[in-house]
Amino acid sequence: MKRVKFLRLCLVLAVAVILTKLFQIQILEHDFYVAKAEAEHTSLYDIVAKRGEIYMLDGEEPVPVVLNTTVFSVIVDPQTVSREAVSELLSKIEKSRWAVSSVDEIFEDESRRYLVIAKNIPRADYLKIAEEVPGGAYVKSSNQRVYAEGDLAASTLGFVNADGVGQYGVEGALNKELAGKNGMLKTITDVNKVALSIGDDNIRIPAEDGKNIVLTVDRNIQKKVEDVLSQHMKDLGISHGSAMVYDPNSGKVMAMVSFPSYSPANYGAVEDASVYVNDVLETPYEPGSICKGFTMASAINEGKMTPETTYYNEGTTMVDGWPIDNAQKEKQLGEITMRTALQWSLNTGSVQALRLLGGSTTEITQRGKELLYDYYYNHYGLGQPTGIELYENTGTVVPPDSEYAYNSTYANMTFGQGLNVTMVQVASGWSSLINGGYYYQPTVIAGYIDKNGNFKKAEKKEPVRTTVTPETSATMRGMLHDTRWWMGDPEEYYFGGKTGTAQAIRDGAYVMDEFVSGYIGFGGASQDHPEYVIIVKMWEKGRTTSSEEEVRPVFEDLKMWMIDYLRIKPNKGGAE
Amino acid sequence: MRKHKADYFIGLVTLTLMAVGLVVIFAIGPQRANFLNSALGVEKYSDNYFFIHQLISVGLSIIAFFIATKLPVKFLHKYAKWIMLVALILNAALAGLALMKSSLAICQLGGCRWIGTAGFSFQPAEFLKVALVIYLADLMARRKEEGELESFWGFWWPYILVSGLSLFFVVIFQKDLGTGLTIVAIILATLFMSGVRLRYFVAAVGILGFLGVMSIVISPHRMERLSTFKGGGDSDSSYHIDNALLAIGTGGLFGVGVGNSVQATGYLPESINDSVFAVMGETFGFFGLCLLILAFTFLLMRLLKMIPFLDAEKGIMVAGVFGWVMAQVVVNVAAMTGLIPLTGITLPLLSYGGTSMMFVAFALGLASQCSSYTERIVR
Repeated sequence: MKRVKFLRLCLVLAVAVILTKLFQIQILEHDFYVAKAEAEHTSLYDIVAKRGEIYMLDGEEPVPVVLNTTVFSVIVDPQTVSREAVSELLSKIEKSRWAVSSVDEIFEDESRRYLVIAKNIPRADYLKIAEEVPGGAYVKSSNQRVYAEGDLAASTLGFVNADGVGQYGVEGALNKELAGKNGMLKTITDVNKVALSIGDDNIRIPAEDGKNIVLTVDRNIQKKVEDVLSQHMKDLGISHGSAMVYDPNSGKVMAMVSFPSYSPANYGAVEDASVYVNDVLETPYEPGSICKGFTMASAINEGKMTPETTYYNEGTTMVDGWPIDNAQKEKQLGEITMRTALQWSLNTGSVQALRLLGGSTTEITQRGKELLYDYYYNHYGLGQPTGIELYENTGTVVPPDSEYAYNSTYANMTFGQGLNVTMVQVASGWSSLINGGYYYQPTVIAGYIDKNGNFKKAEKKEPVRTTVTPETSATMRGMLHDTRWWMGDPEEYYFGGKTGTAQAIRDGAYVMDEFVSGYIGFGGASQDHPEYVIIVKMWEKGRTTSSEEEVRPVFEDLKMWMIDYLRIKPNKGGAE
Repeated sequence: MRKHKADYFIGLVTLTLMAVGLVVIFAIGPQRANFLNSALGVEKYSDNYFFIHQLISVGLSIIAFFIATKLPVKFLHKYAKWIMLVALILNAALAGLALMKSSLAICQLGGCRWIGTAGFSFQPAEFLKVALVIYLADLMARRKEEGELESFWGFWWPYILVSGLSLFFVVIFQKDLGTGLTIVAIILATLFMSGVRLRYFVAAVGILGFLGVMSIVISPHRMERLSTFKGGGDSDSSYHIDNALLAIGTGGLFGVGVGNSVQATGYLPESINDSVFAVMGETFGFFGLCLLILAFTFLLMRLLKMIPFLDAEKGIMVAGVFGWVMAQVVVNVAAMTGLIPLTGITLPLLSYGGTSMMFVAFALGLASQCSSYTERIVR
């Protein structure tokens, strides 16, 4: 039959056309479609590295103070989810304190999409609502830092911002170590971007988790220092105070406090970003008479004087035609020893020490300035970075060949004015005066916690240089001990220290109504072996402060507590 | 005519195709279930949901095929009018239910194609195809015997009325152009084989062609699809065609293998229904698709081959089945390969869906029965 043949022809033609088309798509254009499919099906994902935790010491044991937790946010798309569903979801969330917007706010403008209705929901609370999340609402999990000790050591720890980047403190300075390195996942996904196990082109580079850092900071010392300092500041009505407890025999920072402080978990709630700054490391200041120890140690170490060297104290001394007065102009007039000059913190004494250092009894010489600079800058490390692992400021000490290196500048420098240094520079340099002359690089890192939870201690650091001879150092311990002759310190321990007050500078000139006051002291069982150094500083805008009356008491409140905490056994015969 | 052994190739190919369909649904069913669960936010679909349902469909289809082979032709001869009437009433009922917005009419995208509830649903248009094949074959054979084949009241009037009503229900009410095309194929194939003079046949093609163009022009939905085909157009249908081509093209010569289809994980719409051909292209490659198309071609050739040896009624009936199956295969495959604009139509015996498979199986069962009434054994 012709018509059947015709139908057969139609069929054959249709099949031929289809097979030709298939040949074109599947054979000729195969590569094109494979490339297109790869582009559409393949997704790249970051495998997020776990941020390292931060530990402090509790005696010898590391304890975590900064941890990670997963928190959840709930996001809704008003274009796909009903008002009723959001309302119901919110009513469940609102019982907690995680909701951040109301139904009315969300549906105010329906052209908007993907609005956060609750955030920072902890896992336990999230699990209660997980089943209730309707279609059109999404849950996003994110990592959040948990500060187990609350505000403790905030300025040392820093915080992690909303982008997951550490800011300030350990979080900021050691961000790279803490953050680790994200891995990568390249995989074929389904249309909803869920990874599939189809194909063998999937690539997985695992994340390198961040390091768990153990700080040298001791949780208990930190807490004690914060409590004592804040109590004193509260009583005195002073808002700016900072302190550091330092191990002079290793360079380890045992506590570091900078007030006013903030809450790292709620870092956004500050009025002034300056509270993030760690004063101990980052704010250069004039340490005042604390520097007299540095000056005298230099002259003694150069063999140019002894504690018993005398000079005639008139209560004032002329440098370049300018008078330099003692704070207590009428005290100890006449022929006195350098020991007495340090005890009474006489400016004439330290200026005289500079003259002696330069080989003269009457003039400040260029040689004296060069030597003082060499000791200050190169030996004690004043005005240069200490190399501590955190952010620090450099400060400035005017070199002797500078056009600003007037004799008066250097005379001022002998009692801690006319230079800018940080507390950590002072504490590490000053520690070398009393520990036998060894300068240690300050450090906050005690070690790391490895993957198995074991504490891997950092290598013990050797001193980077000697600053003065052991004999000079022993002499300095004695002189600094003698400044406390009237304190009534317990005989079976050995303490020493020095006050330091500098006038604040306003509009380039020293003012008489605002001082920066500080105290640095050491304590231990015997004269030979100081166990800790404590440096304290206070300042209040528009108010004078007294290192002797207001700052030193902080040291007094801490000195025996430290002896007890460090379990330092008393020496049997009493000091000396 | 004495009954002899049927052409068992018809049953064999039918079974084979259904088995291949089962394999494909088994492989991609879990992905489809996963996609629907996440898209709808439900846990309704288990991994084996689609496979089990397809298995049931295959079972019912085999029964339908068997019944069709045993159904006495005399019975069909006697009740052809009534079968046609029932089919039209069912479609009219669906249209009525849809107009009353009854929940018994299941509607999607403005087209109401199913009667039923969530548990059971039925597509009256599928029944309509079978009814048309039976009724038209009977009508034409009777008039041919009476020599009244080209009489207006005797033949053209009922032919046009039944065809027109069928297309009206399917294309206008159910907005189902794919099934409409199948119906056109049935009414043209039967007319062609009835022996009317060629000029009448050409006129019928012309009229139906004109109506087809009109139905596209008056429907924005179809205009969109057409403009998609010409490049541009709405994103949904171009997305569908792009991903169908992507699936087929990715398959290459031998395919990615069973269970490795990525396009079926949600990229390709209707992956287990209308787009199953594209998924098979990805899975089995050019080689597999050639075998598939040759299987259909072989089946259709077997149908054509017996027609000259059958009496008028059976010959026209087989021609109707031929038109039906060929139209669905060609339209589906051509749409998936971008040869013609996208039309929602299932691939016979392979696509997921019970009604469609059962009626195609029934129709092929009828053809199989006819093959045992040839004047001589056709091999």
